[in-house]
Amino acid sequence: MYATIRRHAPLWLSIAGGVALWEIAGRATSRAFMVPFSETLVRLWQLTVSGEFLPQLLDSAVLFFSGFILAVIVGAPLGLLFARVRVLRIGIEPYLMILYATPMVALIPFILSLMGFGFGPKVLIVFLFTVFPVLYNTVEGARSIKPELIEVAKSYRSSEWALWREVMLPYTLPYTMTGVRQAIGRALVGMIAAEFFLSATGLGQLIMGASQDFDTAGVFASIFVIGLIGVGLTRVGFVIEQRFARWRQ
Amino acid sequence: MAEQALSAPVAAGKTQAASRWSATFVPRLITGLVILLTWEIVVRLTAPAYVAKPTGIVLAVPQVLTDHAFLQALGATLLAVSEGLAITIVAGTALGLWMGRSATVDRVIRVYVNGFNALPMIIVLPLFSLWFGYSPGARIATIIFAAIFAITMNVADGARSVPREYLEVAKSFRARGRSTLFEIVLPAAMPYLLAGFRLAAGRALIGAVVAEFFLSIGGLGYYILYNSRSYHHNEAFVGVLLLAAFGVGFEVLVQWTTKRFMPWYRRDEKAS
Repeated sequence: MYATIRRHAPLWLSIAGGVALWEIAGRATSRAFMVPFSETLVRLWQLTVSGEFLPQLLDSAVLFFSGFILAVIVGAPLGLLFARVRVLRIGIEPYLMILYATPMVALIPFILSLMGFGFGPKVLIVFLFTVFPVLYNTVEGARSIKPELIEVAKSYRSSEWALWREVMLPYTLPYTMTGVRQAIGRALVGMIAAEFFLSATGLGQLIMGASQDFDTAGVFASIFVIGLIGVGLTRVGFVIEQRFARWRQ
Repeated sequence: MAEQALSAPVAAGKTQAASRWSATFVPRLITGLVILLTWEIVVRLTAPAYVAKPTGIVLAVPQVLTDHAFLQALGATLLAVSEGLAITIVAGTALGLWMGRSATVDRVIRVYVNGFNALPMIIVLPLFSLWFGYSPGARIATIIFAAIFAITMNVADGARSVPREYLEVAKSFRARGRSTLFEIVLPAAMPYLLAGFRLAAGRALIGAVVAEFFLSIGGLGYYILYNSRSYHHNEAFVGVLLLAAFGVGFEVLVQWTTKRFMPWYRRDEKAS
């Protein structure tokens, strides 16, 4: 009991300090610049009660998960395929690296002008932000498979299916999960970018609308919520990665 | 005799290197050609004429690279990214070292660094546009915000992982706090700083482009937006290629620096 308090007290103290600082700074400066924490919470409550907040949150969630799940469904098997066919892997690797390092936001204007404002192009943006970390890390994982393992499996006349199940998957999945963890953060950025630059919907619209109305409290409330979501999802990502990291020896 | 003994392995090494080179280069070349060809054919058959395709982009390159407006946009973005990254490296490293060396500081601000790092950085744009107006200042602020936490987190990890013996030796030689920090902790944290820089540089680029989209400030991002809106997709895509080149360039720079100056450090052990 005492140990738990001792371990967690600094964290809670630090959060309390931060909130106090936010409150003081908000009260000391102009309202157009910053609003105190208490007012942010009040505004968040107002937005929730008036029914503006939850539908937007749901809207964003649908976009996020559509793009994200699509990216994992496409990225992981494709990565495994590249992993298995060595020539393909060697051939595709530099291009994956380039796409991985390219700021995907730069493609948004093209997607906008070719595909318009609908839900599909938005999902595509989240997908593009998300798929390359998954793919890149899966292929990276495939490089870590020792050729001897596959040779041994082969010399015991392992079937292709057994080879995938016993060697390929266990060796690459932990890396894929690292990609998934990285992808969560990127997918959030993609989601907000899609909502900012294509048709304004979801949390992106909430924050942009507040900003255009000079509703600073609304801006802070939205950022606060998205921050909490970001922290929560990052935590989930780490848990997933850790679960699979045990396989990686 | 001696010459023969020397030259034989060299020749063997050369052919081996050559075969390894062809084993990787040929598939890569073929893959690249397949990608470009597919792109070209699909666009030619299905898309309107203004859509970017490889031949169109290649033809647009000379014109874009001599275009005054493009060079100005490129300069503006590069300047903003370098300024932002310079501030980020100094401030982020200082904050990271402070966190890494003091358990109290770490406990107090870690939750905030983690929190801000998990925040999708472009979310602050509406706020920054309120604070700084639709100005280049808002772009720099976005770049710094996007990049700094990656560096801080990595440097803090690095500063914490300094072997205890080094610090004990420093202490027993009565090294001053400052020299311990700059001559032991900072060099030991260097590979972490580089790993952080790799992440930060990519994010800074994204931050700059997004800020230009959002705030309509002149730069490479705005050049891409403007040209793609006015159906000059080929020209706009040259800008995208340049951004990709910077992204890859940062990656290569960090890999080379790590290999050249810190050969004992294996990057894949602690990448992110």
